[in-house]
Amino acid sequence: MKESLLDILCCPLDKGELELEVIRENDDEILEGRLVCVECGEEYPIEDGIPNLLPPDMRDEAAA
Amino acid sequence: MGVLEDKARARLFYKYLSRVYDTINPFIWNEAMRDEALEWFGIEAGDRVLDVGCGTGFATEGLLAHTEEVWGLDQSAHQLEKAFEKFGKRDRVKFHRGDAERLPFADDSFDAYWSSGSIEYWPDPVAALREARRVTKPGGSVLVVGPDYPTSTVFAKLADAIMLFYDAEEADRMFAEAGFEAFEHRIQQRAPGTPRAITTIARVPEAGGTDAEGRTDASRTGPN
Repeated sequence: MKESLLDILCCPLDKGELELEVIRENDDEILEGRLVCVECGEEYPIEDGIPNLLPPDMRDEAAA
Repeated sequence: MGVLEDKARARLFYKYLSRVYDTINPFIWNEAMRDEALEWFGIEAGDRVLDVGCGTGFATEGLLAHTEEVWGLDQSAHQLEKAFEKFGKRDRVKFHRGDAERLPFADDSFDAYWSSGSIEYWPDPVAALREARRVTKPGGSVLVVGPDYPTSTVFAKLADAIMLFYDAEEADRMFAEAGFEAFEHRIQQRAPGTPRAITTIARVPEAGGTDAEGRTDASRTGPN
């Protein structure tokens, strides 16, 4: 994902703002990282450039 | 609403559905019907559009013919893999994984909202429609395509067992409950005797409206 797209993303649970933690990036975009809700602290992974914003109760199973 | 009230089972269903989806889908809702719905949708080049339950990308492809700003959201990694094959993973479409009933987008983020072939799997369609209203700018279009309630009794029983089907009256109730005031439904059918699709085109009310729970726009949650 491109960092500029972060503006409209929010936590699916409480709609709080998300803070970006970059693990791996290239010139264009973030490839691996985390989006952390400033309100509830929930963490959402960025996996191969795709933000996984599934609520935690859906995450494990949907990853199968 | 049948077994798909159980989200875990819904997800298992999706996993197997993705393998056959592009084969089955054209029999119910084909390119001609999609393109007709796109005309009703009325988006313009440059509009930022959210495709909820984009799945394998059948509608996404049509949306891209109208605007370059397409965001795709799906809960299923399996379905998205097929879409990645068509459009690239991080190229023409901004793909996200997420839940239609709990969208990860701020209020008024999109010019228009599209969802086709997904509502029948939402355990709580009204909650998802309320989210559609929240993330779309006032005055923007919300278009939802779902399966019209089958007229054959045998098929109706089968349908009830696996997913949500609804008629215009039920669609009225769901959209009104989700806080929409202006909307209309159109029935699409490939040929007589084939399953029918019900397409609802709704307009997001101007700010200051209230939804069926009496919440005002001002009390809607969000960072803005």
